[in-house]
Amino acid sequence: MDNILVLAKYTFKEALSRKIFLTFFAVSSLVLFVFLYMAVTIENSAIFEFFRANDNATGISERIAEAVQGGITFYLFAGGLFLSIFSVSSFIPNMLEKGMIDVLLSKPVSRAQIIIGKFLGGTVIVYANIIYVVVGFWLIVGLKLDTWNFYFLLTSFAITFTFMVLYAMIILTGILTKSSILAMIISYLIFFILSPLLAAKDNIIGLFESSTLEVILNFFYYIVPQTAELAQITNYISTGTFEFDTLPIFVSFLFMILNLAAAIFIFNKKDY
Amino acid sequence: MKAVEVFELTKIYTTGFGKQTVRALNNFSIEVEDETIYGLLGPNGAGKTTLVKILLGITNLSTGSAKILGQNVSDYTIRKETGYLPENHRFPPYLSAEEVLKFVAESNGINPKSINSKIDELLEMVNMTKWKKAKVKTYSKGMMQRLGLAQSLINDPKLVFLDEPTDGVDPIGRKEIRDILARLKAEGKTIFINSHLLSEVELISDKVAILNKGNLIKEGSVDELTTSKEIYKLSFDGNVLESDIIDISSKYHLESQSENIFTAKLENSEQLNELIDALRKKKILIKSLLPQKNTLEDMFISLINESDKEVKNG
Ligand SMILES: Nc1ncnc2c1ncn2[C@@H]1O[C@H](COP(=O)(O)OP(=O)(O)OP(=O)(O)O)[C@@H](O)[C@H]1O
Ligand SMILES: [Mg+2]
Repeated sequence: MDNILVLAKYTFKEALSRKIFLTFFAVSSLVLFVFLYMAVTIENSAIFEFFRANDNATGISERIAEAVQGGITFYLFAGGLFLSIFSVSSFIPNMLEKGMIDVLLSKPVSRAQIIIGKFLGGTVIVYANIIYVVVGFWLIVGLKLDTWNFYFLLTSFAITFTFMVLYAMIILTGILTKSSILAMIISYLIFFILSPLLAAKDNIIGLFESSTLEVILNFFYYIVPQTAELAQITNYISTGTFEFDTLPIFVSFLFMILNLAAAIFIFNKKDY
Repeated sequence: MKAVEVFELTKIYTTGFGKQTVRALNNFSIEVEDETIYGLLGPNGAGKTTLVKILLGITNLSTGSAKILGQNVSDYTIRKETGYLPENHRFPPYLSAEEVLKFVAESNGINPKSINSKIDELLEMVNMTKWKKAKVKTYSKGMMQRLGLAQSLINDPKLVFLDEPTDGVDPIGRKEIRDILARLKAEGKTIFINSHLLSEVELISDKVAILNKGNLIKEGSVDELTTSKEIYKLSFDGNVLESDIIDISSKYHLESQSENIFTAKLENSEQLNELIDALRKKKILIKSLLPQKNTLEDMFISLINESDKEVKNG
């Protein structure tokens, strides 16, 4: 356990010194700042008008806050993951560089500990940033509309979980290919194309009426991490709705565990 | 307990989707005694680095067994007791010497706060105190090597592996490193050195092994390897002509090197004393008589040539 923590700590330090963390933080701050500027300059009445609401209706602030935060959640999910994937994709390839990996592997740490340490280190970095943005938005919306939706804070966990699922795959790709670009491309492919496509599989199947296509799409649906569904779930959570299908969470979790296990297994077999 | 025990070790690398194989180590067995300096010699590609990497769990072995400090190499906890200076090592360029040492200490399970004095002591030892706070990316090759040596000692290891420790280090630095190694041995550490700088290994090693194309071709103490017992060098006072000793020269294989220096090839000390008697009878004054020493390099080159020939012929 100590070994894992040391490795996680140095992953964090690496992110700090490579200015990855700083970039992440700066982009987040900029977005928050723009939002804050909007909150300060736009009159409440204009917001109410925009939502075509009556000032006096009870609970209207809550509903507006919910709508605004729902919109934010979507961008937060996509933007946050885009940046996180970008930030962590080089961790494993850097670690595997000739001359560096020798020193690391000659230490009294097992290869499983190295993988888990990198996984946790990366996750902590991303979580720290996500929580910063989420709490930032939450404070701005709360102060502006004087309504405090605590469910919104839970989205930080949902986004980080989705990140972990993709990060496990990034680690496996890194171990297999030493390529940060490839790891990045595959994650973006899953995140922006494959998963949204597969989420709409029923529509696609309906369109083509082919049973082979149905089998193929269903097959991929259950092996590709269901990030599109997780985005939907994150949105539900932000509004305090908890009646959603939990299958995507289990499928994604399984994907994460399998990817990490495969990464450890293959890492153990490799010569450096 | 032996510091290193390697038994019938074979390593086959597969590259290019399992199509090509390289036999980097071939049925290799050695033992390294505690508290000695062991030199592993061999030309480029002989398998020296491969052996060390197997001993440290960086590379997996194919068949055979390998133990360090009495434990199987697959047991990663034993590496608490080892240090390693890899060849062509790199450290994260954004760390300073101090931070590298802390990182290495921490991954050895040492609390980095408790070792400030150890860091200073090691940096002093390798003459890098001035560079304690400077980032690794600003270092020269020799400085990297010194830092590499320092980090290999941070956990006070019982067994240290040094892969080409003097690579890129200037002659003065090399002498310093040799002195450090002698001191470490005196402190009771076992040192395993890979090198092709034979003259250097010759100066410090208790025992050397010579490796060629994955085969162990010779092992022994430096003295054993460099002393050829049967050849003696004789020097005489005053000129001795070949014709003066023509009657005994064939029996003792005397060969003139210069006017008053001859070599003799003898089978045993009995013959040696007979030769002395014969020379004294002729009233030849013997000034000195020395067993002929080859340098490790002479021996190395002839051994490698022989072994290459054997491989070619069969
Ligand atoms: N990771 C690897 N994959 C495939 N082949 C390898 C690998 N590492 C080493 N080899 C091969 O194994 C053989 C031994 O290499 P090794 O690095 O152990 O030699 P060496 O004695 O250390 O050489 P040098 O003096 O140049 O450092 C070489 O033929 C090399 O090409
Ligand atoms: Mg080598």
